[in-house]
Amino acid sequence: MEARFTVVQRIAALATAEAVDAVLVAGDLFDAQNLSDRTLHRTFQLMAAYKGPWIVIPGNHDAALADSVWTQARRLGAIPANVHILLEPKLAVFAEQKIAILPAPLTQRQTYHDLTEWFDGADTPADCLRIGLAHGSVSGQLPESADAPNPISPARAQTARLDYLALGDWHGLKQIDERTWYSGTPEQERFKDNGAGHVLLVEIEKPSAPPQVTPHLVGQHQWIKRDFTLAVESDLANLFAELLQLPDMSVVDLTLRGQITLLDHQRLLQTLTAVQARHRSLQYQLADLRLQPTEEDIAALHADGYVGDVVEALRQRQASGDDEQAETAREALAILADLLSQSAPEVKA
Amino acid sequence: MKITRLTVNQFKQFRQPVTLDNLTDGINLFVGPNESGKSTLVNAIRAAFFERYKSTGVANLQPWGDSAAAPEVEIDFEWQNQTWKLQKRFLKRQRCDLLIDQQHFSGDQAEEKLADLLGYQFASKGASKAEHWGIPGLLWVEQGCIQNIHLPVDHAGHHLKSALSGTLGDITSTGGDELIARVENERAALLTKTGQPTGELKKIQQECEQLQTQLIELNDKVQRYRTSVDRLGQLLQQRDEIDSQQPWLPYRAKAKEAEAALAAAQALQNEQQRDQQALKNCHSNLEFCQQQLRDFEQRAQQLSQRDAEKTKAARALAECQQFTAQLKQRRELAEQEFQKAKDALKAAREQINRRNLQREHDRLSEQLNQLRQNHQATAELQAALLKLRAQLQTQAVDDKQLARLKALHKELHEIHIREQAIATRLQYDLQPGKSIQIDDQAINGTGEQLLLKSTSISIPGVGTLQIHPGGKDINDLLRTRERLQAEAASVLTQLKVTSLAEAENHVTQNQQVAAQIDQHQTRLQMLAPKGVDAVVSDFKLAEQQHQSLTEELAKLPDAPAGAIDERQVETALATAEAVLKTAENANYEHLRELALRERECESANNEWQKLQAELQSPEHQSRQRESLDRLSHLKAEENQLRNAIQNRQKQIDSANPAILQQDVKRFTNSAESLENEAANRTVEISTLQVQLETLGAQGLDEAQNTIEQEFKRLSQRRQQLQRRASALDLLLNLLRENRQILTRQLQTPLQKHLNHYLNLLFPGATLTVDENLRPEILTRQNNNADLNALSFGAREQMGLISRLAYADLLNEAGRPTLIILDDALVHCDGERLEQMKRVLFDAGERHQVILFSCHPERWRGLGGGGENARQWKMMAIVFAVLLLPCLQPR
Repeated sequence: MEARFTVVQRIAALATAEAVDAVLVAGDLFDAQNLSDRTLHRTFQLMAAYKGPWIVIPGNHDAALADSVWTQARRLGAIPANVHILLEPKLAVFAEQKIAILPAPLTQRQTYHDLTEWFDGADTPADCLRIGLAHGSVSGQLPESADAPNPISPARAQTARLDYLALGDWHGLKQIDERTWYSGTPEQERFKDNGAGHVLLVEIEKPSAPPQVTPHLVGQHQWIKRDFTLAVESDLANLFAELLQLPDMSVVDLTLRGQITLLDHQRLLQTLTAVQARHRSLQYQLADLRLQPTEEDIAALHADGYVGDVVEALRQRQASGDDEQAETAREALAILADLLSQSAPEVKA
Repeated sequence: MKITRLTVNQFKQFRQPVTLDNLTDGINLFVGPNESGKSTLVNAIRAAFFERYKSTGVANLQPWGDSAAAPEVEIDFEWQNQTWKLQKRFLKRQRCDLLIDQQHFSGDQAEEKLADLLGYQFASKGASKAEHWGIPGLLWVEQGCIQNIHLPVDHAGHHLKSALSGTLGDITSTGGDELIARVENERAALLTKTGQPTGELKKIQQECEQLQTQLIELNDKVQRYRTSVDRLGQLLQQRDEIDSQQPWLPYRAKAKEAEAALAAAQALQNEQQRDQQALKNCHSNLEFCQQQLRDFEQRAQQLSQRDAEKTKAARALAECQQFTAQLKQRRELAEQEFQKAKDALKAAREQINRRNLQREHDRLSEQLNQLRQNHQATAELQAALLKLRAQLQTQAVDDKQLARLKALHKELHEIHIREQAIATRLQYDLQPGKSIQIDDQAINGTGEQLLLKSTSISIPGVGTLQIHPGGKDINDLLRTRERLQAEAASVLTQLKVTSLAEAENHVTQNQQVAAQIDQHQTRLQMLAPKGVDAVVSDFKLAEQQHQSLTEELAKLPDAPAGAIDERQVETALATAEAVLKTAENANYEHLRELALRERECESANNEWQKLQAELQSPEHQSRQRESLDRLSHLKAEENQLRNAIQNRQKQIDSANPAILQQDVKRFTNSAESLENEAANRTVEISTLQVQLETLGAQGLDEAQNTIEQEFKRLSQRRQQLQRRASALDLLLNLLRENRQILTRQLQTPLQKHLNHYLNLLFPGATLTVDENLRPEILTRQNNNADLNALSFGAREQMGLISRLAYADLLNEAGRPTLIILDDALVHCDGERLEQMKRVLFDAGERHQVILFSCHPERWRGLGGGGENARQWKMMAIVFAVLLLPCLQPR
C-alpha cells in the first residue's frame, strides 16, 4: 500500500523535474471504488506536489458509476483544482497547454463496444495537440485480450487523427504503434516480467509531429520470481551467490526443487533467514526440495540406532507419490535434523 | 567374573583385618547369626566399587566411634583370564589402586575402569545412591530388597541396553529417549494428546476463522454496495429517459375529455330521472282523482240506502208498540193470582203453627205432672235418709272396741273358771235359819262359797272364823281380774253402753239402718239420676215453658174451620209465582225491544238527514265538478311525459355513460401510475444516494483488501503450523514405533531366560517384560497377575528370577556378572525354596553367586551334598571367622 503512495510522490517529482505540460492518467488511478477517506486525501495531496494539470479518466477499477470513488472524493472535497477528472466522453481543451483531450472514460465496469469511436468525428482546435485518453484492450494486440471487455480499435490513433493515444488497463509497458502506448502500472504489483513500474515521458513538438516516448522507472520494488533446482553440491553455492545479488527491497518468490542433505538444508535455512531481512518480502517454497540424509549427516547428528531407522523411513516417505505425505515427511525430517543438531552442537561449527 | 578373595580392615564392625579366601565359581554360601558381619562384607564390596576413594561422605564406613580409622577394602577377582586386584582406602590416606595382571591403574582412572567394566556411575558429589548403581545395583541385592525389581531395572536401563547392544547389533540410539521427549514437547505445543489443535495452532485457526467470517461479511457488504450502485445507475438512466418526458400528461388530457362527455351524459340522466319522477307523481294524482270520484258515487248510494233503513226502523217500532197493552194486562192478572196464593199459604201456615203449639203445651203439662211427683218423692226420700243417717250416727259401735270388749269378757270368764278351780270351797249346810255371817253377809241355807280371799265367817255365837285361801296364783288371778274388769268398764263407757249385750244389740240395729239407707239411696238414684237439684231445676224449667206456651196459645186467634192442605197451597203459590215471572219477563223484554226500536228509528232518521244535508250542499257539488276537470287535465299530462321520457332514453343509450366512466378511470390510473413511478424513482434515488454515501465512507474495498491480505498471511502461517504439527505427529509415531521394535528385540532374549528359570518354579508359566525391560505380568495356567499384585514371597522369587535372567543376558553379551544376595528369599515356603535352590544352582553354573544367610538349615541341599564339600568346609571356616568379632568385647 505504502509503495503506491510513494510512486505517486515519485511521479509528481518527476513531472516537476521534467517540467511537463500535463500528467495523463489513463484509468485505474485507484484499484477499487470504496476506499478510506484517508487514502483518498493522501493520494490527492501527493498529486498536488506537481502544480500542472493532472488529467484523469476512470478505468474499469474506478469506473464512473452512479456512486464511485469519484463521487466520494467530490463529497470529501479531496480533489485539488489542478486535478481534472474527465467523467464524460466530451472534449476537454486545456488552452494554456494547447492540449485537446478526447477522453473515453468508463462509466460501467465493462463495456463491449469501443468507447473511443467518437474520437474519429470529434473536432478540436487546430492549434492544440489532439490527444486520446482511453482505458481498455486494444483488440488483437494483447496476449489475453481475445474477448476482453472494453475493446479499443488498434487503428484508433490513425482514424481519429490523434497526435497521441494514451492507454491504460494493461499492467505492463507496451507500444501499440507510433502514437499509441500502454505505460503499464508505475508500481509493479504482480510477478510478471513485463516491464511494469514505468511512466512514459511523451514529447510532441507540434500537432501532427511524431511523439518522442521515453520510459522512466518509478517503481520502488522489483518483483522477482526465481525457480532453482539443486542437483549437485555446487548448486547451493550458486544459489547463495544469486540471492546475494538480488536488488535490495525486492519482493522475492523463490521456489527450490531437487534434493539437499540435512546439513545443507540447515545452512540453506540460515542463509534464507539472513537474506529475508534485506528485502521487502522473501517467500520460498521448499515443498519440492527433497531432504536427502547422508551417512555424514547421520553421523554428525548422532542419528544412530532406531533414530537412524526413523531418518531412513522419512527419507523414503518423501519419495512417496502422495504429495501431502511427502511434504509431511520432509518437514518431519527437517524438524528431526533441527532437534538432533541442537543436541549435537558441534555440528553447527 | 569371579571374586577370589576379599579383605576388609578398619571397616565398620571389623576393626581388624578380616579376609574371605578361596571363593570359587558358582555358589558361595556364607551363614552366620545376626550381627555377625555378613551385611558389612556386602557393604565393603559395594563401597569398593561404588564409592569414590576421595569421597568425604563415607564416614559411616569407619568402625563406630573410631574417627581415626581408614576403612580399607581389597578385592581380588578374575575376568576374562585376567587377574584384577583392587585396593581402596577411604577417608585417611585415601588410595585407589587397580592392578590388572601387571598393568597398574590408580585414582580416578582405576575407578572409571571399574565403572566401565561393571556398568555403573559414580555420584558427582557425596555418597553413591541407588540411581548410580547401574547393573551391580540390579545384581547385588541388599538385605530385604530382592522383591523390588522395577527401580533397579530403571537405574540399570541405560547400562543394560548399551551392554546388550553388542549382541543385538547397532540398533539402540544414544539420545533416542531424550529425542522422543523433545518431539513430544514440540508436538504438545501444537497438538493435544488426542491430536486436537492447541496453543498457537489453535489460536491461529481461530483467528483465521474470525477473519474468514469478517471477510464474508465484508464481501457481502461490498456486493450489496455494488448492487446498489448498479441500481442507482439504472434509476438515474430511467429518470433521464422516461420521467423527463412527463409521459403521464397525454393520459391526463384524455381523462379530462372523457370526464366532459361523462358529465353531459349524466346531465341527461338526471333530467330523465326527474321526468320519470314527474310521471310517477302524475300517476298517483290520477289515481287519487279517480278515487275521489268513486267516493262521490258511493255517497249517493249511501243516501238511498239510509232512506230504506229509516223506513224499515219505523215499521219495526210500530209493530212492537202493538203488544204493549196486552202484555201489561197479562202481568197485572198474574200479580193478582200470586197475591191470592200468598195469602192462602199464610193462613195455612198459621193453622199449622197453632196446632203444633197446642201439641207442645199438652206434652209439657204431662211432663210437668211427672216432674212434680218426682220432686215430691225425692224430697221424702231425702228426709228419710237424713233421719236414718242421724240414727246411725248416734248408735255407732266401733268394731275394734267391740272386739276388745268381747276378748275381755272371754278372758274374765277364763279367770273365773280358774278361780273356781283354785278357790277354797266353803260348803255349808246350815241349819235352817241359822245363819252365819260371811264377811258381814248373812248366809243361811245350804250353799257353797268359793273363797278367794281372807274371809271372816262369823258364826253368830260362835265367833268368827277367819279363812285364808291358799294357792300361790290366787292373788295374781285376783289382780288380773280386777285389771280386766277395769278395762272392760272403760270400753263400755267409750261405747256408751252398759253391757256387752247392749253393744251387740246396737250393732245389729245399725246393720238394719244401713240397709235401709242403701235402699233409699238406690231409689233416689233412680228418681234423680242427675241429682236432686237437677230434678228441681227440670221441674222449674218445665213449669216456666208451660207457662209461656199457655200464654202464647192464648194470644193466637181461633183456628178456622176445616183443615187446610199446606202442600196444595204451596204448589198453587209456586205456580202463581211462575206465571207472574213469565208475565213480568215478557213485559220487560217487550219494553227493552221497544226502546231499541225507538232508538234505531231515531238514529236512521238522523243518518239519513245528515247525508241528505251533505249531498245537497253546494260545496259538495262544486268539489265533484272540480274532480272531473282535474281528471281530464291529468290524463293529458301523463301522455306528454311518456313521450318525453321515451325520446330522452334514446339519447342516453347512445352516449353510454358506463363506458365513459371506465375511460376516465383508465386514463387517470395510467397517468397516476406513471407519476408514481417517477416519484418512487426519485425517492429511491435519494435513499440510495444517502445509503451509498454512508457505505462509501466506510472504505469497504480497502478494508476488504487489508483483511484479505491478513487472511492470506495467517492462512499461510496456519498451513505451516499444521504441516509442522503433522510432521511432529509423524515423527513421534515413527520414533515410538522404532523404539518399540528395538525394545521387542531386547525383550525376546530376556524373555527366553526368564522363562527358563520360571519353568523350574512354575512349569508352563510365563513372565512378560515391558518396554523398559521390567518384568510385568506373570501368567500361570491362564491366570494373569501383575507383578505388584503378587504375594511378598512370590515377588521375592520373581525378583531373584528376573535378576538371574538379566545376568544370563549380560553373560551372553560378554559382560561380567556377579550375583550377591544378602539374606534373600526369607519369605519362601519350604517347597518353593527347594525349587529356588534348583534355580540358584542352575544360575551358579554360569555365574558366581555369593549368598549370605543367617539360616544355614534353609540352604542345605544347595549344590547337592558332598560334591561341594569344599564349599561346606569353607563355610565352616567363614563361620568361625565371622563369629570372632562378635565375641570380642567392643
